[in-house]
Amino acid sequence: MLDVKNICKTFNPGTVNEKTALAGVSLHLDDGDFVTVIGGNGAGKSTLLNAVAGVWPVDSGSISIGGTDVTHLPEHKRAKYIGRVFQDPMMGTAATMQIEENMALAARRGRGRTLRPGIGRDERERYRELLKILDLGLEDRLTSKVGLLSGGQRQALTLLMATLQKPQLLLLDEHTAALDPKTAAKVLEATERIVQKDHLTTLMITHNMKDAIVHGNRLIMMYEGNIALDISGEDKKKLTVEQLLAKFGQATGSDEADDKLLLG
Amino acid sequence: MKKLSKLMAPALSLALALSLAACSGGDAPSQNSASPAGNSAPGGDAAGDGKYAIGICQLAPHPALDAATQGFKDALVEKLGEGNVEFKEGNASGDSSLCPTIIDGFVAQKVDLILANATAPLQAAASATSDIPVLGTSVTDYATALEIDNWNGTVGTNVSGTSDLAPLDQQAAMIQEVFPEAKTVGMLYCSGEPNSVYQCDVIEGYLKEMGYETKRFAFNDTNDVASVAQTACDGSDVIYIPTDNTAADNTEAIANVVLPAKVPVMAGEEGICKGCGVVTLTIDYYDIGYMAGEMAYDILVNGADVSTMAVKSAPEVVKKYNAANCEALGITVPEGYEATGE
Amino acid sequence: MEFIASLLNSMPGAAAQGLAWGIMAIGVYITYKILDIADLTVDGSIGTGAAVCVVLTVNGVPVWAAMLCAVLAGVLAGVVTGLFHTVCGIPAILSGILTQLALYSINLRTMGWGTGGGKPNLPVSVDKYDLLVTARYVRDLALRNPLIPLAALTVVVIALLYWFFGTELGCSLRATGANGNMARAQGINTNWCKVLGLMVSNGLVALAGALLAQYQGFSDVNMGRGAIVIGLAAVIIGEVLFSKVFRNFALKLLACVFGAVIYYIVIQVVLRLGLSTDDLKLLTALVVALFLAVPHWKARYFSKAVVPAQKGGSAHA
Repeated sequence: MLDVKNICKTFNPGTVNEKTALAGVSLHLDDGDFVTVIGGNGAGKSTLLNAVAGVWPVDSGSISIGGTDVTHLPEHKRAKYIGRVFQDPMMGTAATMQIEENMALAARRGRGRTLRPGIGRDERERYRELLKILDLGLEDRLTSKVGLLSGGQRQALTLLMATLQKPQLLLLDEHTAALDPKTAAKVLEATERIVQKDHLTTLMITHNMKDAIVHGNRLIMMYEGNIALDISGEDKKKLTVEQLLAKFGQATGSDEADDKLLLG
Repeated sequence: MKKLSKLMAPALSLALALSLAACSGGDAPSQNSASPAGNSAPGGDAAGDGKYAIGICQLAPHPALDAATQGFKDALVEKLGEGNVEFKEGNASGDSSLCPTIIDGFVAQKVDLILANATAPLQAAASATSDIPVLGTSVTDYATALEIDNWNGTVGTNVSGTSDLAPLDQQAAMIQEVFPEAKTVGMLYCSGEPNSVYQCDVIEGYLKEMGYETKRFAFNDTNDVASVAQTACDGSDVIYIPTDNTAADNTEAIANVVLPAKVPVMAGEEGICKGCGVVTLTIDYYDIGYMAGEMAYDILVNGADVSTMAVKSAPEVVKKYNAANCEALGITVPEGYEATGE
Repeated sequence: MEFIASLLNSMPGAAAQGLAWGIMAIGVYITYKILDIADLTVDGSIGTGAAVCVVLTVNGVPVWAAMLCAVLAGVLAGVVTGLFHTVCGIPAILSGILTQLALYSINLRTMGWGTGGGKPNLPVSVDKYDLLVTARYVRDLALRNPLIPLAALTVVVIALLYWFFGTELGCSLRATGANGNMARAQGINTNWCKVLGLMVSNGLVALAGALLAQYQGFSDVNMGRGAIVIGLAAVIIGEVLFSKVFRNFALKLLACVFGAVIYYIVIQVVLRLGLSTDDLKLLTALVVALFLAVPHWKARYFSKAVVPAQKGGSAHA
């Protein structure tokens, strides 16, 4: 489904702030893979997701989604294939627009915007039903401005919007990191439910090792702009946090990274 | 709490507007509070007690325009008497889109006559009323300003006035008289001023007839005056500057370029000549304002019909020279030139 | 009493100018409020609208067609600013300034059309041409009163915009201004949306310029100077005074028009009270600053600190 081949990205090249964020990353996701991504600060997790989403062009390498080469497509054109939820709850929704307007925008992801009405009458009913699944009481607030919602509500809504039209690839960038533990658990639960239901190919960054182990069928760990560990199948099911740390130490030859990794 | 804040905005803004108005209210004649006199002799009802109310709209604060306004007021006060005329003045501060606002205020107050000092106020006044007599002054060319095709010296509507144009053929002749050796005359002016463009258009014709080569150097605003002046110096033997307001505001900058370059400037009015020129054929703005005042008197008191009044030009033109600059450039002016004031 | 009477008598004029500037303010609203761009192109495009309308009218084009061309010229100015910003990567505010600067020359050339050079001022008299609006008849109780076409145009503009911003395209424009990241993630070409918004905005501003030129009887190359401040003043006055009552989008646009009318009424009042016009710009700047500050002060001093995000907190706790 997703094919990332040897991509590199260096920020601020030629300056004192030069930083190699991706050093030749290759990654292949099969249809229906749910991959969790962990790694310390600056390991390149978010950079990888942004590269796939097309926030900026990569220096080298290629990216294809579902067999389509998207390496040179701008962000808004790749959106046709990709659903995204960001770390910052403010980023995924338009605060000054209504809930139903936000959803209507998402429902038209990847399609041309015409002079037809921005939101159809029959659409509202569908949105109401979908919001009910979230169980946050949003189904009665279709015309509320999104800016009035809590962070958790906004993340849940963003998740719903990202999957409103089934994406070929779902990118979740630490989407529960900014939430309190209770809300985070709830949003994560909703994520699991939606991904299972629609059999979505998903790439989820998390800062929580337990979450990374519990969710998904495959786990990758990034270190210094590359993939240091890639665990899937039975190995992943039996994995514990301790084992993970040990494997990480072996793979990178560092034993001090533990704390950094856990905290990161 | 919420209610309070709701009231805050309008209350604060009103307070601000009023206080600002109050601060500056002192120097303007406040509205006459006496009840209107029984007789309706002097036209409108803007001023009570049989006073004439005159609206004056001036385009910008500027020595020449100020002088014209002063001349106009002096003429009317002299003829009507101090207490019999009330002037309502509005200065658009150079913002032409403010002219209709000011003029509209005059029309609403039903003034007896409007003095439009410069082109944009004249156009705004002509557009705003066809009843109230409008006199222009400091307007160079009425035909261009009001788009009159067959100009015969009279506008023919409720508009007339005085022109600030010193005859351009005489100006061209003056260039020939003082600078017989020159071959190329550069014209330096602001591209945003209709009067300047008109003067350059006309004098260009005269100069070409005399065998001069002419070049145009138009600057856009204060910012590029100096650099355009420099280009003009490089390409001309003599520079001509018309009655250009922007140039008049920047004579120092122009002088700093033309004097070191040893290129003499012939100016369309005295102010520019004083600042950076060597000679000028000048009219007195006070005079044309005063003439407009006399026309106003004829209309208000003698019942003259404004639509039949011809546009008048300055009563006399004077040849003047700037002694200091002439000396600096080694120019000797012929007989008959007065030195400009300081 | 006399003062009040003459003040009332000047209200039609203030209303007419306010309505024309109100259309301009709606244009400013689109960029400033919806797209979140401070677009300074308007100082130039208002003059472009005036210049195109007048030059075509005096050359015998029917006034409605001249106004249509004026709008198209404004749209074109918006395209230029948009391309400066999106294709050339120039910051929005600087793009606007660049276009505004360029338009000064273009407006000179436009008014000098057929003369081979530039012309800074072009008159258009209601006595010679069949103008849509003119200051001449603003106090007439007749169909030719400019308030009628101005009010009608305002209604048409608001209705069209209300429809447009409800369409898919209009919604994506709003999303672009509200949250560019979100918009791109939903497949919206935010660059194109910005260009489109600038086109619509400057088209409206040019329309206002065309109306103002007819109203005042001339087009002048300097007439756009400081226009953005008047537009902003109208938007902000309208918002501060009416935001509690006007929640619907169409009414918000109407608030801009009311803001412009109020602005011109205030100007008339303070001029009548004897404020020197020399101080007018200072007053305008202060009024705009004050109205900008009021919402800030309100948030800071007059309400208990309620972070909106916490309101719904209990729903899922």
